[in-house]
Amino acid sequence: MNKIRTYLIFSFLFTTIVLQAQDNERISDTFANVSLEEFFSRLEKKVPYKFYYNAKELKTLYLSLEVKDLTITQTLQEAFKATDLHFAIDKQTKNIYITRKFLIETELPAGYFKKNDSLQKSLLTDSIAGFDVESKTVSKGIAGKLYEIGKKTNQVIRNAVLTGYVRNSKTGEPLVNASVFTDNQQGTVTDQYGHYSLTLPGGNQTLNIQHIGMKDTKMQLVVYSDGKLDIDVNEQVQTLKEVVVSTSKINNIKNVQMGMERLAIANIKNIPSVFGEADVLRVITSLPGVKTVGEASTGFNVRGGSADQNLILFNDATIYNPSHFFGLFSAFNPEVIKDIELYKSSIPANYGGRLSSVLDITSREGNKKKLSGSAGIGVVTSRVHLEGPIVKDKTSFIFGARTTYANWLLNLLPTAYEDSKASFQDIDFSISHQIDSNNFLYFSGYYSRDKFSLEGDTAYGYSNRNLNIKWRHNFTNKFRGILMVGFDEYLYDVSSSVNKVNAFKLGFDIAQLNIKANFDYYINTQHALNFGVSAIRYRLHPGFVDPYSNESVVRPDDVETEQALESGLYFTHRYSPSPKLSFSTGIRYSMFNYLGPQQVSQYEPGKPVTDANRTGTIYYDKGESIQNYHGPEIRFSTRYAFTPTFSIKAGLNTMRQYVHLLSNTTIIAPTDIWKLSDPNIKPQLGEQVSLGFYKNLKSNTIETSVEVYYKRIKDFLDYKPGASLFLNHNIETEVINTKGKAYGIEFLVKKPVGKLNGWISYTYSRILLRAYDSTQGVTVNRGNYYPANYDKPHDVTLTGNFRVNHRFSVSLNTTYSTGRPITLPIASYYYAGSQRVLYSDRNAYRIPDYFRMDISMNIEGNHKLTHITHNSWTIGAYNLLGRKNPYSVYFISEGGVVKGYKVSIFGSVIPFINFNIRF
Amino acid sequence: MKTTITAILLIVFSMSCKEEYMPPNGALEKPLLVVEANLDPSNTTSITLSRTTNLNDPTVIRTENNAVVTVEDKNNTVFSLTNRGNGLYTGNLNLVINNEYRLRIKNGGKEYLSDWVKTIFNPPLDSISWKEEEDGVHIYVNTNDPTHTTKYFRWDYNETWEIRTRYFSEYIYINGGLRRRNLPAEDVSVCWKFSPSTGIFLANSERLQTGIISQSPIVFIPRGDEKLLVRYSIIAKQYALEENAYNFFEIMKKNTEDIGSFFGPLPSELRGNIHCLTDPGEPVIGFVTSSAATQKRIFIHESEVSNWRTFYQCEEIFVPNNRDSINYFAGVGWIPVYYSMPIDKYFFTSPYCADCKSRGGINIKPTYW
Repeated sequence: MNKIRTYLIFSFLFTTIVLQAQDNERISDTFANVSLEEFFSRLEKKVPYKFYYNAKELKTLYLSLEVKDLTITQTLQEAFKATDLHFAIDKQTKNIYITRKFLIETELPAGYFKKNDSLQKSLLTDSIAGFDVESKTVSKGIAGKLYEIGKKTNQVIRNAVLTGYVRNSKTGEPLVNASVFTDNQQGTVTDQYGHYSLTLPGGNQTLNIQHIGMKDTKMQLVVYSDGKLDIDVNEQVQTLKEVVVSTSKINNIKNVQMGMERLAIANIKNIPSVFGEADVLRVITSLPGVKTVGEASTGFNVRGGSADQNLILFNDATIYNPSHFFGLFSAFNPEVIKDIELYKSSIPANYGGRLSSVLDITSREGNKKKLSGSAGIGVVTSRVHLEGPIVKDKTSFIFGARTTYANWLLNLLPTAYEDSKASFQDIDFSISHQIDSNNFLYFSGYYSRDKFSLEGDTAYGYSNRNLNIKWRHNFTNKFRGILMVGFDEYLYDVSSSVNKVNAFKLGFDIAQLNIKANFDYYINTQHALNFGVSAIRYRLHPGFVDPYSNESVVRPDDVETEQALESGLYFTHRYSPSPKLSFSTGIRYSMFNYLGPQQVSQYEPGKPVTDANRTGTIYYDKGESIQNYHGPEIRFSTRYAFTPTFSIKAGLNTMRQYVHLLSNTTIIAPTDIWKLSDPNIKPQLGEQVSLGFYKNLKSNTIETSVEVYYKRIKDFLDYKPGASLFLNHNIETEVINTKGKAYGIEFLVKKPVGKLNGWISYTYSRILLRAYDSTQGVTVNRGNYYPANYDKPHDVTLTGNFRVNHRFSVSLNTTYSTGRPITLPIASYYYAGSQRVLYSDRNAYRIPDYFRMDISMNIEGNHKLTHITHNSWTIGAYNLLGRKNPYSVYFISEGGVVKGYKVSIFGSVIPFINFNIRF
Repeated sequence: MKTTITAILLIVFSMSCKEEYMPPNGALEKPLLVVEANLDPSNTTSITLSRTTNLNDPTVIRTENNAVVTVEDKNNTVFSLTNRGNGLYTGNLNLVINNEYRLRIKNGGKEYLSDWVKTIFNPPLDSISWKEEEDGVHIYVNTNDPTHTTKYFRWDYNETWEIRTRYFSEYIYINGGLRRRNLPAEDVSVCWKFSPSTGIFLANSERLQTGIISQSPIVFIPRGDEKLLVRYSIIAKQYALEENAYNFFEIMKKNTEDIGSFFGPLPSELRGNIHCLTDPGEPVIGFVTSSAATQKRIFIHESEVSNWRTFYQCEEIFVPNNRDSINYFAGVGWIPVYYSMPIDKYFFTSPYCADCKSRGGINIKPTYW
């Protein structure tokens, strides 16, 4: 044994000596425009090294070089000095590895085995390029090197704060929600600007950066004091192997935010949808707790909330109508979107104004390095997008546009509607500009327009218009603020000129001017603050009708304009006493002022609000505060991680909503209008408690969760029978206040990575309302609880995506849910000379259950990274089983007999095919 | 507005499918009792009892024929109503204004009782007025309670109108042959048609300063309609209601006269004032009211309206004077008008043009005409 050991040591030493000697061999040669292959083979003849390189990668490179008396190291340095090639000499095996862009470390960093405090003495100077030790300048890093953080001093500090940006190295765009963490689980995620703040212990640390679609990156750091580190991460080239999953996938465990789903655009594009268009809104309905009333509804319902209780933001601009063409398409161009966040239970205090959810959609900033774009052609819609730098690495823009040409589809309709036209367009445009390292400016604009014309005569249209500008300022690297100023508007108009005598045009619009100042202060790992103030000034035209032309005898009518100011002050404290436990305590104080000029009707107190009980009207002047509603909103959540793969979260949220969508139809008809709270219409209040259990299995490749919630809603508006809402000067006489309760349990099993990925969710939920106030004069179902129009107790959704190979992937989407409630006629009777129909209790019955399966296949054209354009095809079918899912049931009198019909929107299979080009 | 929305949605729905739908079985297992009752202190009180029918049932009314109906007051005096058959129960009740009464129905082992209903004062129906406009004639009722105590009203009406045929039929085809008509009994050139109201007509003066209700619309006759081609008459009856009765009728009107939209109308429950004592959970449709009905009648002659005409074609044929031809044409329904001696033929025409009874009329002049 000893003999062998001695022999080994001896031969080792010998080899080393031999190698050392050989390293000193000198090379002299002239290389005139030689290929790298030739270069390496000539060198191999002179030195006992073997070169290893990717021939394909280096095929196109040629060298011209004259070498006189240089070592191999010097030769290669000289040869590669103007390129991005690196060489790594492995002395033991006599191999030289040639790589592009990043260097292979053939040795462990110096000081790896030595204790921390001696590190200062043995520092590798050659591996830190362009770094100034004296000042804390930003270091651009490529993974694989050792980085110094902060100022080198003789003391070793306990903890330091590291901040910086994580970016896509190819496009320069910031990576949102990237995990940045050390090997001992201390970590954070980047915010929407790609910015992170992390507290690290001093000394040697390994920093891991992970993000979906990007290569997992490890960086070696030496932490001296607070410092900055920007990280450029490379994209993950598609490989067939399973992605090595490590601890970053535990975001669902670690995140304090519960009831929040984040979807990156990659997930959204995988889910098949109508006509093959990636559809943001349809994707979120496949998440647990989110439902819709039917295919042609423009809204969605979150945990028993009505469609107007969702705050839909696009780059912080409020979108009132998030879909096109009666809910068949979403209003957002998938090419421009970066990700979407849906908050279902713990809604952070910086959001307010809606009771049930916040859907925050952010667009990308645009490729900061080169111009790129894509175009897609589909059966019904087409889209194009363009992005690129205005000033490289500082200013970028992204522009997207979509349009439809559905007219041919309408021509398939019965002759009566032959002349109908339908079209929609949407345009988004944003610019992001970096003024300097502490100041950023973002501009975002959005415009959408829908037009629909029936038989060439009645024209109907609606439009969203939004504009905002944000200034982000970093006061210090721990404290930053964002100031936003914006304008949002939603309007619709209907006009009919078919009958000159009755020709009319009518419309509605709501506009808001917003200003918001938001501050984030990262104190340390345990404490972080977020606080700010926001204000919205509303101006709403409830409705006007005018004669279309002079020949029309339509009487003009204009319901008085409404104005109000909604403001909020908020403060959130995130406190993590230990990595396992964390609390987020937020409070928001919101206030709503209904302002004049306005005529306000007064009613006899204690009696039902009806025309009969009106006592008079009072006129208020411009700017006068007529009614003031205000109150605190609590946003509290907590998380305890028992193990790195299992955690429990709980939350308590109260919310206040001051604007209401008036709709007394089951579906959200596009002519529904919004109304501000006023002396006769109170704001809606909601309270929710929720509890969730999260467990990851199989080394975090499978996420499972169970969430339960209970919600109480107060002063939710419901309508008196036969209520006439449009152009009603006294809408308060048509509404009744109800209170509601909602509860449910949501199960989710998700496999986010791998060849087969997707999720399956099951939700059981109820939403029940009660018209309780006897002074209202009208009750529903004798004051008992009845299900709301969107109460669907059971809901199962399966979304799966299977990547067969580089080029081909298949997606399947299946959903099953209970039918929505309906009030049915149950008998007929004769009264006052006529046969009449008797209705059941409101919503006492249900339409038949809903079941649908969609499939789509994505075929990529080519995967060559060097091609100018990449194309792909998407083929699929919506409603694969061709099931006639009933959308609604109605009854009409035919031949004196009352007959029932069920209508379905898509009664057959709808195939689609799309072609996309990307450059 | 609603038609626009309906049309827009019809487009969407046209791309889709429509299938017949049967509501779940047992939607209404037991038919419910339907009561129409106005306790009238001055005129004959008529109460109608019927039952609800299934939606697919072609029978229009299922009358309740075997009930015992009584009216009682707070002194336990009981007034009986006579069963006239066909769900009709009548009686002459001596009711006192401002006293309260209630209705009791016993039928098939079940007993129903209404709430106490006050007999309220019903002012006379002030007038029926009408206005001719480009699209036709609009008829209104006007009423007035100077004391402004009665604020809620309901009306119903009966229309009568005279029709005349283009041709005067002198002959009648009877017993296989033609003979001259016995006039005036067999005259079929002039008839009267009747139509009761089918809607619920309401108005109130709650929001008004005075008790005057002016021009509450009840009938619209489109231009050219046969009602005003000769002479038209309408008698409107007015009932006074209390507020809860008024709300009941208003809800019934909204629930049932706005039918045809698949927007998921939100019908409200009909809360009548009659309860089932035997089975408190069983709802009863109807609201008992009490007031003395007042009425008024007007006539409108075709000369009072301008430009009122309608166009229709009359088929005309001369039929040879032989048995076979006459049997043939009369057999299929042609009506003989006159005999033309020079050509020895009978002039026949289509029923619409000579026989007013074929148009739904009765050739007996009403007493008030």
